[in-house]
Amino acid sequence: MANTFKVKVNGGPELAVDATEGTLLEALEKHQLEMHYHCRSGFCGACRSTLKSGTVRYTTEPLAYVRKGDILPCCCVPESDLDIEH
Amino acid sequence: MSYSTFNQEQNNPLTEPMFLGNSVNVARYDQQKHSIFEKLIEKQISFFWRPEEIDVSRDRIDFNKLTASEKHVFISNLKYQTLLDSIQGRSPNIALLPIVSLPELETWIETWSFFETIHSRSYTHILRNLFSDPSEVFEDIVINEQIKIRANDISKYYDDLIFYTQLLQTHGEGDIVVDGKTYTVTQREIKKKLFLCINSVNALEAIRFYVSFACTFAFAERELMEGNAKIIKLIARDENVHLTSTQHILNLWQYGEDDPEMKEIAEELRGDAYEIFMTAVKQEKQWAHYLFKDGSMIGLNESMLCQYVEYIANLRMQAIGFDAPFENQRSNPLPWMNKYLVSDNVQVAPQESEITSYLVGQIDSEVNASDLGDFDL
Repeated sequence: MANTFKVKVNGGPELAVDATEGTLLEALEKHQLEMHYHCRSGFCGACRSTLKSGTVRYTTEPLAYVRKGDILPCCCVPESDLDIEH
Repeated sequence: MSYSTFNQEQNNPLTEPMFLGNSVNVARYDQQKHSIFEKLIEKQISFFWRPEEIDVSRDRIDFNKLTASEKHVFISNLKYQTLLDSIQGRSPNIALLPIVSLPELETWIETWSFFETIHSRSYTHILRNLFSDPSEVFEDIVINEQIKIRANDISKYYDDLIFYTQLLQTHGEGDIVVDGKTYTVTQREIKKKLFLCINSVNALEAIRFYVSFACTFAFAERELMEGNAKIIKLIARDENVHLTSTQHILNLWQYGEDDPEMKEIAEELRGDAYEIFMTAVKQEKQWAHYLFKDGSMIGLNESMLCQYVEYIANLRMQAIGFDAPFENQRSNPLPWMNKYLVSDNVQVAPQESEITSYLVGQIDSEVNASDLGDFDL
């Protein structure tokens, strides 16, 4: 499927994430990963993760400061296969 | 040099630094150097709430059922939060408005402080409901040693910045003698004090509130003091927005996206910034110790709280470019906290907090053709 990407978290196994079904945070929670979060809407930055490779698209504009190389999984979806540190 | 409430210099706000450039003259938002601050204003205003909307009357019954040690935890936290918001309700205005140079940031600071005053008013709302005379609780805030240690550590950076700004704005740069003591005032020195102050405020918003938040939500997990928990949920949501603003200021400086001199200072004082954060962590752990000195409460004890402080400190320090200092505390020891910190779960519509005044004066605005049936022309 064109919208399904492989996402690797903390060097773990590749997980299938459908970009049309909710945010990256929700997708990873469905895979039973323990995720850091507070607001879940892009303004607090608690879910901040490092993007080692790949690209994401924000569905809501993040208000938290996104440092270079970081992403906020609570308000983005994958646009390619990803490798992240969370 | 001296502050003007309407600087007549024709300056370009797009080229001003966030602080210590020209003072703001026209409050215009059609063009913005750092538009994020207006977005934060909008977000914060969309979260507007009033303490009176939340019914805390059941809490009085719950409070009387708490053990003595649980009452100590509850009241001590309220005192501490009252202190924090007393400081935050005025200090960003007094310390930062005289030196701010961007209209959007000036308005953000005013919005931020205003919301802290809502928090202060909500503590009175909570305490009035619990005690027929809450004076004793308020009066203890300036006597209690544990609170005073924290008050001193938080206010000293603000006070220092305010004092030096006053000297700069009355005397200009140079050696200034006040009461026999010489103060060397330079723009750069004030920028350093500003940097330390923002780091201290950032640490405050980032972790100082969270020990008391955790206790509040631990009570709510046992279905106790739920009116209070509803209020604290709203406060926690606001504090997250405030925290984002201080993280933005620090990161903008660090990445050289604002005043180049502030970038140098951020590098020069990186160690001091780290220490400010770690001192706050240490003090919060000591606070957890003080809270549970007479015994813990169901679902929460001193060591879990300390682990939570470390966990949250990791997240917060990474947000401003430090490595996580507590490597062995990478998972959340209090996972139930998150459900109180999710923004979508916060309900503020008056009809959902069951206030009777909401229904007074309601009218049925629906008009059907049959309503006009007995009209004659």
